[in-house]
Amino acid sequence: MKSWNKPSLFSIISMAIALLIICFVGSAILAIIAGGIPAFKEAAASREIHFALRLSVLTSTVSTIIVMTLAMPAAYALTRTPMPFKRIYSLIIDLTLSLPYILLGLSLLILFSSPWGKWLKAHHIQVVFSPLGIVMVHLLINLPYALRLIRSAFESADIHLEYIAMTLGATPLTAFLTILLPMCRNSLINAFILTWSRALGEFGATLMLVGVTRFKTETLPGSIYLNISTGQNDIAMATAMIMLVISGITLFLSRILTDPSRDKNRKVGI
Amino acid sequence: MSAQLEIKDFSVTRGNFSLQPVSLSVEEGEIFAILGRTGSGKTVLLEAASGMFPGDTGEILLNGTNICRIAPRERQTGFVYQDHGLFPHMDFFHNIAYGLKMHKVPRNEQIRRVHEIMDAFSIRHISHQYPGTLSGGERQRAALARALILRPVLLLLDEPFSALDPATRRRIHEQLLSVHRQYKCTILFVTHDFQEAVTLSDRIAILLDGRLETVVESGQLLTNHYNEKVEEFLGRTIDHE
Repeated sequence: MKSWNKPSLFSIISMAIALLIICFVGSAILAIIAGGIPAFKEAAASREIHFALRLSVLTSTVSTIIVMTLAMPAAYALTRTPMPFKRIYSLIIDLTLSLPYILLGLSLLILFSSPWGKWLKAHHIQVVFSPLGIVMVHLLINLPYALRLIRSAFESADIHLEYIAMTLGATPLTAFLTILLPMCRNSLINAFILTWSRALGEFGATLMLVGVTRFKTETLPGSIYLNISTGQNDIAMATAMIMLVISGITLFLSRILTDPSRDKNRKVGI
Repeated sequence: MSAQLEIKDFSVTRGNFSLQPVSLSVEEGEIFAILGRTGSGKTVLLEAASGMFPGDTGEILLNGTNICRIAPRERQTGFVYQDHGLFPHMDFFHNIAYGLKMHKVPRNEQIRRVHEIMDAFSIRHISHQYPGTLSGGERQRAALARALILRPVLLLLDEPFSALDPATRRRIHEQLLSVHRQYKCTILFVTHDFQEAVTLSDRIAILLDGRLETVVESGQLLTNHYNEKVEEFLGRTIDHE
């Protein structure tokens, strides 16, 4: 009879970490669901929560589209072209990843409160305490993150396929559009979904730049913060539950859209 | 016959590797092999000829025109890698039709030409299959068909048969020779297999450690005498006494 192998130290550590995560995250999720269910109907019908949901989804979607549009060509330049000062450029981009978000929010606040920011405001471009500021925060926080994800996807894609495409008549741009992007499809979808989710849940830097004003700059995380501050814990829990549902849907969508069994390039036994 | 491809004092550096100035000429319609160990610079020379990166010195003339400053898409070269280099997100039909599409060939003409070359390589039955699902031999034939469909002046092959079993390799050799007769293109191919070089090519260049050592008629590869380095590469010991 086959006997069980004794688990190694590493597998015991892995199992312990998994158990800890399940305990902490699982209990938090259970607490949110338990606390949120009684007020869920009320929250779901609330005009304020509708506004926060709409604002969150809208700003996250707009910022993610801008981030992806900027990150793809930037990642291409960093991985495929002999641009000068590439290392310094990468370092500067990565720097924002290591800074606390509250600091990034503060830097944006200082920037847009400067004479230059006031000049923008005078020309009807108001960033501080406005939804545009939320998009701006998302851009600053998510652009380096998405760039890192896309860059890593481009680096792992075989450059020789683009070379071959060029010998077959493709320009570098056509090779990018017809070869590199489709080859990195799953990574790009994942990058979009992860960036969007991060934007949806962003709070610290947003609070610093635009604050949380009801029916003006109130996003879902902002709404949770406001309701907790005013002692409406049940509404806050219900709002958190809505965010949980959105996270579940994005995770599901991500799995469906990047399902390896739908990959036409799958290897079968040859 | 006239020299169709002329490489004159061409050198290139890639990372830590440096290809010393190489000069050789390939005649029109010739099958020319570059033989050498792994890491000797064979692929670098081929890739530079196709325009994948610029050289340091020298020039590459194709039909008398220096192609060093010409974009890869305008060089009229086809390229096939050892690992086929097929686009994984396209079926065989669209892989082979890719070049025609890039050159804006009408759709009907694309279909006709793709089917014609698929028949020549006996792969029409798998036209809607994806590269990841088929055998190495089928993938290699598709890669050759894709490179040849634009009727390139020069076909560059980078160890195209090394990953195939002997029977498949023999079959594809025959198909390549037959297609070469039909399409009349010049072929420059890289290999480390003496037998393959002798079987397929008219002439052979031996490239070792980034330096071109000699160019010989393929029939004389094993009968000629060379310097110590080449003799060692060919597996022959030199009696120094």
